[in-house]
Amino acid sequence: MPLFNSLISNFNRTPASRQSEQSSSPSRRPVYDVKETDDAWGVTVHLPGVTKENLSITDEDGTLKIRGERSWKQPAGWTNLYRESSELPFQLELDHDNAIDAEKAVAELNDGVLRLSLPKAESRKPRKIAIA
Amino acid sequence: MRLVRYNHPLSRFYTPSPAFQTPWSGLENEISRLFDSVVGDFNTASVTNRFPVDLYEDQENYFVRAELPGVDRADINVEVVEDFLNITASRKTKDGDQEQSYSLSRSVNVADNVQADKVSAQYENGVLTVTLPKKEEAKPRKIAVSVN
Repeated sequence: MPLFNSLISNFNRTPASRQSEQSSSPSRRPVYDVKETDDAWGVTVHLPGVTKENLSITDEDGTLKIRGERSWKQPAGWTNLYRESSELPFQLELDHDNAIDAEKAVAELNDGVLRLSLPKAESRKPRKIAIA
Repeated sequence: MRLVRYNHPLSRFYTPSPAFQTPWSGLENEISRLFDSVVGDFNTASVTNRFPVDLYEDQENYFVRAELPGVDRADINVEVVEDFLNITASRKTKDGDQEQSYSLSRSVNVADNVQADKVSAQYENGVLTVTLPKKEEAKPRKIAVSVN
């Protein structure tokens, strides 16, 4: 019987959630999209429940890393009846070939949506070459 | 996600009665639900019009929290119809001159002991929290009895 009970608890296990690559702590990859214009890359990331204080954006070794912790905690006295959302922090890693000008990047967080504008480095912009 | 029933090569020799099929239909549903729960979170918000919803309660209220990032407050519509809380919203995105609009909707079954006229909602950091106060008789009552 103890063996049978231990099998039952395995049945109740939820499937392992996918983790973003190379991350040490468990996290969730947010919904995002990337657009390209002539002078910049535009990244839109959905980060519901993340505040400015809990969001970090770093650019290191050709990897742009966006990490957002959820600021809301379940208040004492609240009982959870049904849950679909996750408590795991959001993490998104985007590799690039250093063709962005990180100094001039602009980020804006509004109603749980992060809009990031990453200007292309001067050397990568389309250039017209004058013929002498 | 849909499972295709395996057809035994000899299946034409017998006609499966409904009683023979039913033991597996529950398992099939469970398996496809499991697949949906794993595969389903690829771009959930952008592909489907569903959004994650949580349900909480305390002694006086029920609370529904919904993740609705990037929606204008004016485009969120919350209504209580009998035992259901309906949340509909539209997300507008601008792409140059073009404006796109996605509609999102979700219906949550709430208990019938809710004071529908006192429901309130607030939207913060892309998360909508709806507070549904319980009816008086549904609250746990504490009566102090003095002992002489």
